[in-house]
Amino acid sequence: MSANKILIVDDEEIIVRLLSMSLRSDGYETVTAGSGEQGLEVFEAEDPDIVVTDIKMPGMDGLELLEKIKEIDPEKEVIIVTGHGDIDSTIAALQLGASDFINKPVRDEALAIALERAKTKIEIREKLEEYTENLEIKVAEATEEIRRKSNFQRLLIKSSTDAIVAFDHDWKVVVYNPEAAKVFGEPAKEVRNKMTIDDLYTPKIAKIFKSVTKADENQQIIQWKENVINTKDGRQIPVRYTSNVLYEKGEFVGTVNFFQDLTEIKRLQKELVQSERLAAVGQTVSGLAHYVKNILIGLKGGSYVVDVGIKKNNTEKLITGWETIKNNIRRVGNLTQDLLTYSKQREPEFEPCVPNDIINDVIVLVEDTAREKSIGISKELDSSLSEIVADPQTIHRSLLNLVNNAMDACLEDEDLTKKHEINIKSYVEKDNMVCFDVKDNGCGMDKDTQKQLFNPMFSSKGGKGTGLGLLVTGKLIQEHKGVIEIETSPGDGSTFTISIPLEKVKVVDIN
Amino acid sequence: MSKKVLVVDDDPDVRSFVVTVLEENEYIPLVAQDGVEGFEVIQKDPPDLVILDVLMPRGSGIRLYRKLRTDKKFNKIPIIMFTGIAQRSFLKSQKALDEFKGGEVPKPDIYLEKPVEPEELAEAVKKKLG
Repeated sequence: MSANKILIVDDEEIIVRLLSMSLRSDGYETVTAGSGEQGLEVFEAEDPDIVVTDIKMPGMDGLELLEKIKEIDPEKEVIIVTGHGDIDSTIAALQLGASDFINKPVRDEALAIALERAKTKIEIREKLEEYTENLEIKVAEATEEIRRKSNFQRLLIKSSTDAIVAFDHDWKVVVYNPEAAKVFGEPAKEVRNKMTIDDLYTPKIAKIFKSVTKADENQQIIQWKENVINTKDGRQIPVRYTSNVLYEKGEFVGTVNFFQDLTEIKRLQKELVQSERLAAVGQTVSGLAHYVKNILIGLKGGSYVVDVGIKKNNTEKLITGWETIKNNIRRVGNLTQDLLTYSKQREPEFEPCVPNDIINDVIVLVEDTAREKSIGISKELDSSLSEIVADPQTIHRSLLNLVNNAMDACLEDEDLTKKHEINIKSYVEKDNMVCFDVKDNGCGMDKDTQKQLFNPMFSSKGGKGTGLGLLVTGKLIQEHKGVIEIETSPGDGSTFTISIPLEKVKVVDIN
Repeated sequence: MSKKVLVVDDDPDVRSFVVTVLEENEYIPLVAQDGVEGFEVIQKDPPDLVILDVLMPRGSGIRLYRKLRTDKKFNKIPIIMFTGIAQRSFLKSQKALDEFKGGEVPKPDIYLEKPVEPEELAEAVKKKLG
């Protein structure tokens, strides 16, 4: 729309006519009035784009007309025609919002320039209005888009199965999703924008996340780790967590933490372990039954041989049969002791003892059997190792067990060209551990066998083992605060090393 | 003349029991404590019957059994399996080995699951040797 309709107001009719003619020839449409009152009427009826009015008129003068027009439309362009040098009126017109002034007598060029200026102003204002309107629409659209996006993100965070907690740079909680409320047991309205990291987390957990920002900016993401959350309502929740530090243009703006509730997974794991344990017990019982059956076979066979000895008065048979029976009674005794040891928590009985003497005792016990099976037994004893404080029973039973296993490993060996050998070694390591090596060059073990060594029920000896030996040894050594280590390779043999803390005997000064 | 019976078992208690049963029934007992030693005895002094354990260190009973059954010189010697292993498991293992190696090794003449009464063992031996 172009500003085209002009209202001319002047009490001198001739001026009105001249101006009107001049403007029409310039292409404007004109309406006219001979007084202020009439000017206002015409203004309301015709709604001109620009008003040109004389200032001095009888009745309603130009200033009053200006004031009335501005009341109706403050944006309307009103050009005031003033007498030469009438400064007071000019100032008053300026204050009332006149757009321009031209002096009397009105020259065409001056009027043309003033009208052009007014027209430009109108155009600019119209454009501005258009821009403003466009801008408003665009802002509204952008706001809607932002709202949609932020809504989407909010829903995303809200519906996440991970607990998400974010802090601003002052460690105040700004994001806290429903899953987080579940994990931490605090409703969102109590937490969001109210709590800080120290209010929400226990000091230990808070420290972990706070420390991350100090790390290198490139390593701001911490790997998934596990921990236990103590909630305010007293629950303990196992979680996996990770954290990410948020930077904006290189500046630290906050941290976001993700937690996954592992309660269900842990429960399932526990169930699995439980069912595996039940299966293991089943297998242990079946292995034990087999072992007990073998003892029974021995006892029955032995008593038959004794019967024959009695009937035939054959001392040799009596002795053989009786040996068999005694042998199997001993096996029952050992089994019972192993079962008791395994099933009960036992405190080691510490007393001064000489480890090398215990090794010699063990060797005496197995010597005969070893010779019979052509297995050599050698020892390398650390002579500096004198009296220590330990449980001699533990050392004795563990070593005997390992040596018996070593003999079985030699007997299982398929390589018959080998001269089988068992070596027992004692030594002190790092000044604080007493170590015993039991080394054989028997069949050795593959990885699978090695993995199952300390499992209850596991025996590589068929019906000839209870599967309790190493289990019991492991338990005894553990109770003694020691460790068992194994080095083995199939076909080359195994070395079992027992290490227990070195406790020297305190010399009591009688004085 | 009395017949010779070889007992192959790693358990000395079992050996002394079987030896006594054999003596009581007037057979001549030979003993070996594992599969390898058992085969040595058989080569040196072939027995009329073998009483064989299954699970033994150094050359199991399964290995010796298949060796004897596939060796023309020894495949006529009757074998009594005498073991704590269930017969079903033993036969299953044989079937698997047959499939793996090809051919078929005949089933044992008699299979006894420990424990057995002395009379039962004696009867089994008599059935084969008369």
